[in-house]
Formats: sequence, C-alpha cells, structure tokens
Amino acid sequence: MQNKKLKWKSDFEKSVIIENFVNRGWIKSQEKEEESTDWNVYWATVWNVRNIFNPKNGFRLNDQQIINHFPNHYELTRKDCMVKNLKRFKREQDKEVLETFNFDFLPTTYIFPGEYSLFVEEFHRNPNQTWIVKPAARSQGKGIFLLRKIQQLKKISGTTVTSNMTQLNLASKENYVVSRYIDNPLLIGGKKFDLRMYVLVTNYKPLKVWIYNKGFGRFCNEQYTTDVAEIENMFVHLTNVAIQQYSDKYSQKHGGKYSIDALKLYVESAYGTDALQRMMDDIHNIMLTSLKSVQAVIQNDKHCFEMYGYDILLDSNLKPWLIEINASPSLTTTTPVDKNLKMNLINDVYNIVLPNDDFPDNEQKQQQPTKVGGFTLLYDESLDPNNRKTQKRQSVKIWK
Amino acid sequence: MQQLDNQEILMKLKSQKQFWDIKKKIKQGFSDQQKIGINDIQKFAQSCEIEDQLIKLISHILKKSKKRETLKEDQIEFLNTSKIKWTELLFKNLDIVHQKAKNQEEDDTNTDSKLYIYDEKNLLAFLQTFKQQQPSVLYQNVQFQSNKLLNINIPLKSAQQILDKYQYILLQEELPEEKINKIRKQIENEHLDTELEKIAQTYVPNGERCLLYLKYFEFDHQETVLQQNFAKLQKECSNQLFFDELLEIDGHEISEDTFYFVFQEQILTCLKCFIRDKTIKENIRIQLQNGMKKEHAEFQLPVTGFFPFKNISKYVAPLCYLSTKIHIIYALFKEFFCRYFCFLHAISSEYNSILSLCMQIEEIVSTRSPKLFHHLKVIGCDTLKLIIHQLIYCFVGDMDPPHILTIYDQIIGHDSLEILVILCVGFLNKYKPKLLLAKNYENVQQIFQELREDKFQELVQFAYKQ
Repeated sequence: MQNKKLKWKSDFEKSVIIENFVNRGWIKSQEKEEESTDWNVYWATVWNVRNIFNPKNGFRLNDQQIINHFPNHYELTRKDCMVKNLKRFKREQDKEVLETFNFDFLPTTYIFPGEYSLFVEEFHRNPNQTWIVKPAARSQGKGIFLLRKIQQLKKISGTTVTSNMTQLNLASKENYVVSRYIDNPLLIGGKKFDLRMYVLVTNYKPLKVWIYNKGFGRFCNEQYTTDVAEIENMFVHLTNVAIQQYSDKYSQKHGGKYSIDALKLYVESAYGTDALQRMMDDIHNIMLTSLKSVQAVIQNDKHCFEMYGYDILLDSNLKPWLIEINASPSLTTTTPVDKNLKMNLINDVYNIVLPNDDFPDNEQKQQQPTKVGGFTLLYDESLDPNNRKTQKRQSVKIWK
Repeated sequence: MQQLDNQEILMKLKSQKQFWDIKKKIKQGFSDQQKIGINDIQKFAQSCEIEDQLIKLISHILKKSKKRETLKEDQIEFLNTSKIKWTELLFKNLDIVHQKAKNQEEDDTNTDSKLYIYDEKNLLAFLQTFKQQQPSVLYQNVQFQSNKLLNINIPLKSAQQILDKYQYILLQEELPEEKINKIRKQIENEHLDTELEKIAQTYVPNGERCLLYLKYFEFDHQETVLQQNFAKLQKECSNQLFFDELLEIDGHEISEDTFYFVFQEQILTCLKCFIRDKTIKENIRIQLQNGMKKEHAEFQLPVTGFFPFKNISKYVAPLCYLSTKIHIIYALFKEFFCRYFCFLHAISSEYNSILSLCMQIEEIVSTRSPKLFHHLKVIGCDTLKLIIHQLIYCFVGDMDPPHILTIYDQIIGHDSLEILVILCVGFLNKYKPKLLLAKNYENVQQIFQELREDKFQELVQFAYKQ
C-alpha cells in the first residue's frame, strides 16, 4: 500500500511530478534552502545532482534517499559525449570476435572544433550532402541549423569560414556536433516527424533497462521538402515542440503529437507485421547499444535512477536513427492526452524505483515483475550476462 | 442484368487461382491413369469435395457478374416522397450556406463556421417528422409504437435476431501466434468473398487488413487501374468547385483529432476527388438524394448524386492507416461508402438504412433497458439524440483507430451495418449508471465531455448486459 509518508522535493514546478507525489500521500520537504537534505525523493535538475555528488560538498545520500539522475549522466545525454562514447564503444566491439551490437544507427557525426578538418574532407567528398549543426549541450532546438556551404559556419565561428581552412575557432566555448542530415525521413501525410520514447535505467552495473509503452511522434507543421529554398524553414525540418508551437498551423488540441500506438498501427497496416517488428527491434538495439556504450563510464550509484527521453528519427526505409538522448525530457503537458501520458509515466517510474514506497534491496529488485504499469523490462544484465542476444529476443517478445 | 454464357464463365474461371488449384488436384488424382472418363472425374471430385469448391467458385463468378442496380425507389411510397422533400430541404440549406460563405468573404469578422449542408442532427430531426401514413396491408401486424422518437412502420428484424447474430463476438479470445499465422496464410490464398467474410468476422491481423479489403472488393490485381483513375480525378481538382470549400472546412475537425491530424491533406484530396467521381452514381447501392435538377439553381447536385455533408471526412480517416498510397486509400473509401456508408444517409426502409438502424436501437433499449429509455425521454434527451453521432459516423472520433478498423471488419464480415446497433446499445449500457443520475441535457453532455476510452469488445459486452 502506498501510504508511507515519504518526503519529496522537486526543482520543477510541474503538475505531473507534484500531483504524483501528492497522490501518493508524500509530504513536501519543508526546508526552503536549495541545499536542503531533508528529503527521501528528489526530482532534481542535472546541476543540483552534480552539486550533490560533488565530493567537495561532503554530502552523502542515505539509504532512504533516491534521486532522478546519475552523477555523470552527461556521458550519454550531451550530444558530443554520446557520440564520443558510441565511437569508442564501437572501436572496442570491433576488436571482439563475436559481434553482438549493431552501430548503424548513428549518422556520420563530427565534433567541433576538434574534428573540423575531418569534417571538411568528408564535406568535399560529398558536396551535395546536407549537414545538421547542433550545440552539444543545448536543448529544444536552440542554435540548430542546416548546412550546405562551409561559409555557413560563420554563424558559430563569428568570422568568415572558407573551405580551405584546417581548423575552426568557435565564437563561444561550447562544442558543436555536425551530423549527416537524414534527408529521406519517413513522412506521414507529407510531414516529417521524430519519435520521443522513454527509457528508465534503474542500474548501470549490472545494467537494468525498462522501456515505456507510450510515447509519441512529434510532427512538423509544414510539408517536408528538400528544396534548398526551404533549408532554413525550421517548421519543415525541426520537430521540437518548442519550435513548432510558433507555427501558424500549430494546434493546441493535439500539439503535433501522434501516439506511438497509432504509429505502430500505421506501420503494421501499411508496411506489414514483419516491417514493424524489424523497426522495433532496431529501436531496442539503439537503446541497449547506447546504454552499453556508457556502462563502464557512468558512476553507478544505488541512490540513482534516470528516465531518458530518446529522440529517434525513422527514414523512408523504416530504419531508425538516433538523434539524441535527453536526461530531462520535458514534463510540460500540452494536451489532455499528453498530461495523461506523463502522469502515468511518472507514476510508473516510482512504482518501479520505490515499489510500495519501499526502498528495495538487491534481492527485492531481482524479484520485480518484468512488467510494471506501462514499463516493460527490456534488458537485465544480472539475469544472464553471457546470453545477451537471447535475452534481447525474449524481451522484444514481451514488448510486442 | 448481365448474363454469362458457358464460354465466358470458363474464361472467368481461368482467371481465378482457385480454378488452377482444383485442376492440379484432379490431375494429381489421376496421375497414373491413361484413360479417364467424365464419370471418373465426377466421382473423384465428389469424393474429395472438389465438386463443392467448384460450385462455390462458379456461384461466386455468377454473383460478381451481376451488376447490382442502385436502389432508387423504395417499396414504401411515402419514403420516396420524403426523399424528395429532404432533397429540397438540402437545396435550401445549400443556398443558405452559399450566402454565408459570400458574407464571410466580404466580412472577415464574420466567423460563422457552420458551413455545411446538413449534419446528423438535421437528418434525425427530418426522420422524426415522418408520420404514419396510410397503413400498409403488408405491415398490419407491426405494432405502432408511440413512445419512440421514430414513428414509422417498416419491416424490421427482431431485436433478438440481431443480438443472436453477433453474440459470437463475446466468445472471441485472444488468438495464439500460430492461429494468427494461419489466418495470414488464409488471407493470402483466399479469393472467395464468402470465405473472406468469415475471416473478417473472426479476426483480421493488422498487417493483412488492407489485402483482405482489396481482395474483398476485387482490387488486388488492379493497382495500375486504380492509380490511373485517381490521377485523372486529381487533375480535375484543379477546377475549383464550391463544395471544395465545404470539404476544407469539414476537414478542420479531423485535423484536430489526435489520431487523424497527420492525414489531413490526404483526406481532403480523397474527398475532392470523390465529389468529382462520375462512377459513384452507378456504383452506389442506394440513391441518397432524389437526383432532380433544380431550375435556376446556381448549384446542382455534384456528379456523385448527393451533397457532401458535415463530417464526411470521418469516413476516410481510418482508412488512411491502411496504406501509404493515396489511390488505394481512395479506392477503399469509395467502396466502403458506395456499399455501406451511403445507407447511413439514405431515406429508406432497407435493413441497413439509418431509419432501420435507429428503430432497432430504440427497440432494443426500450425493451431491455426500459428504465434508461424512459429516464432519457423525461429529461429531454432521447436515446437516439444521444447516439446519433456515433451511429452515423461509425464511432470515428469516439474510439481509437484499431477499434474502428475492427468495426469495418465486422461490416465486411456480415455485409451489413448492424454491428453499429450492437455498439450503440453497448455504449448506452456502459454509461447507464451515470445517465440515470443526469437531471438534464447539460448533465448528459458533461458525462461525454470527460476523457473516455470506448473499446469495441467492451461495448459489445455491455450490449448483452441488462
């Protein structure tokens, strides 16, 4: 029964978090200071988590405290770190005799400024290729633009950039990632979309991953086109709700969000059951491979869990591509359906990490069912660490 | 009606895969024998049911060769007169709509968005105006019910007949993977509509639904023709019609739906082609409006023979899930409309017509849930007024797409719209406890404004609860 009076704290004034905590009968921590430690459950910003785990602060979490980020989550959720870790993991795996991971989901990507010269070489090899430039640590589509000419990099360097330059000095100190633009996205109704899916990691060593059965496609408001004249039209190319909400065609009723269930029905009906299964298998591969790539570097802490927002783009062949992974996926609700989804999402997160409002020990964690609310266990390394492939197939059946 | 001679039947048989399968079986049965007589073949065919298969196949060919005539006249004369009155009313509405559209063009502040020729409430209100005319000798034993919204004597199936027909759905369980695979293979190999109907009644896997529908409508080898026909219609769309404007406005509601907004452009394109499609008039099973020409009228009926109505977009929307190809979506929509949905807008005594379906719903609810029936009447919210929207638009917008497609499966499965009667009854039973507490129409509206999730199987189960 959920009647334990746990104390909660939240850095976000989001109804889906607060209502969930209140509905469970939990009490808000009364300490006003940001550094207050009188809590059991903390839904924190990434910066506050970093402070909490900063050894200089001398603060140690007790056994009755749980927090929603791993200390160095950015290894997965900063775009440049994600790319760096995936590339490193791929190099390691290439040396292995048994190939168990497929890495063909990350578009060719370069990190600026360090890999600028490599990018220039590739750019000249494929002069008709469009690239997408993104600040490594920003969100909501900020600072993103499409690139077809080297000279466009003036936007980030602050000075004229020519194609014979071998290095790039950036105006700001932040890194950028430049990826091959997927210019053949799957379109529905002629419009581009990407997928937002939720993944919960309750442990990195051993890795334990849950996938949520509800998510949504985020649609652009304008018909997709590869016409160069529309290359700067963000309403055609960028699916972020933060951008699309400013379109004249934005609807408050659906917010451009199309449920994953509806998308699956569409793919299955229009392309066939096998095509849907392959697509979902590939998406699960993206999730597992990306998490595995940071397993060795993430500071695993028993007080931590993390709910990631995966952004995935499907191309016209139904092949999924990893766009990015968000540590703090938006919990703002734009429609009643959206609110319902996110309320249930947070509720199910806490049903897993705090079953019956208890802090489970390792044995209790092992005995958890494989399905909790909308979450299904996608991968549990502790069950059979030597047989990952078999486990992956089994967990995919659970998902379907 | 077209009659086929033996040679034509043989030609059509040779175009069916099943014919060649049967021939192969017979050959295999006589592989060793050198002299084979007709009696030998007949005996062999009877012994392994090949004769039955062949008879079914020939019946299927003969049935398909008969061109179904569009129903223009009803057996009940006053319904024919009523259809004329309805058409006249629609012409008047069209004038009003046209004037409103003109006013909007001239005055931007005039945002009257009610630009449609009729909606389901208008249709129900018109049906209510029917008065029992001269009692027909044929229907003397049909009881004239005065407590119902619709007062008319037309032949109806008994409530029990309909309930019995669909009771099998209650027993349907989730099928194991091997059975689903078997059904998939059946759909790939089957061609006879009777067999496809049986599959549609049972279970249709999502991945094979489009194929089943195409086979049932005999489009599975005609993609090029469908594409060419659709392309011709699309070309005609460059000539703007007044009705296009009404379709664009109608599309606005579907564009707000979380399940269908992604298909907005496709839906509009399909409908614009639809109102230009001259073949609809000869393919539609029933004439919706009396196809008279109005003298001096600025607009006449579209070439389809009927006016587009509010929420016509809803009939296209679920079919957008079935294919990435718009000409396929269009072909399916056209068939569904011409065979089934047309009856929902036709003044007729046919068993599939809106009149019959409404009366059957009233009959079932008044006899099996008399308390609810009476209560709704007392608070000024008749049963039919409550469910007319769900009935006419097949629950599109009220149920999620997988459940709507299950409804479409059942429609094909029984070549009938009666499943809608079961679902409407189930819908009312599901909300009965709340409805019985409602004190007025506003209370009732509030009940249905809450976020709800109605499911096909669930509503069928509720239909059989008393």
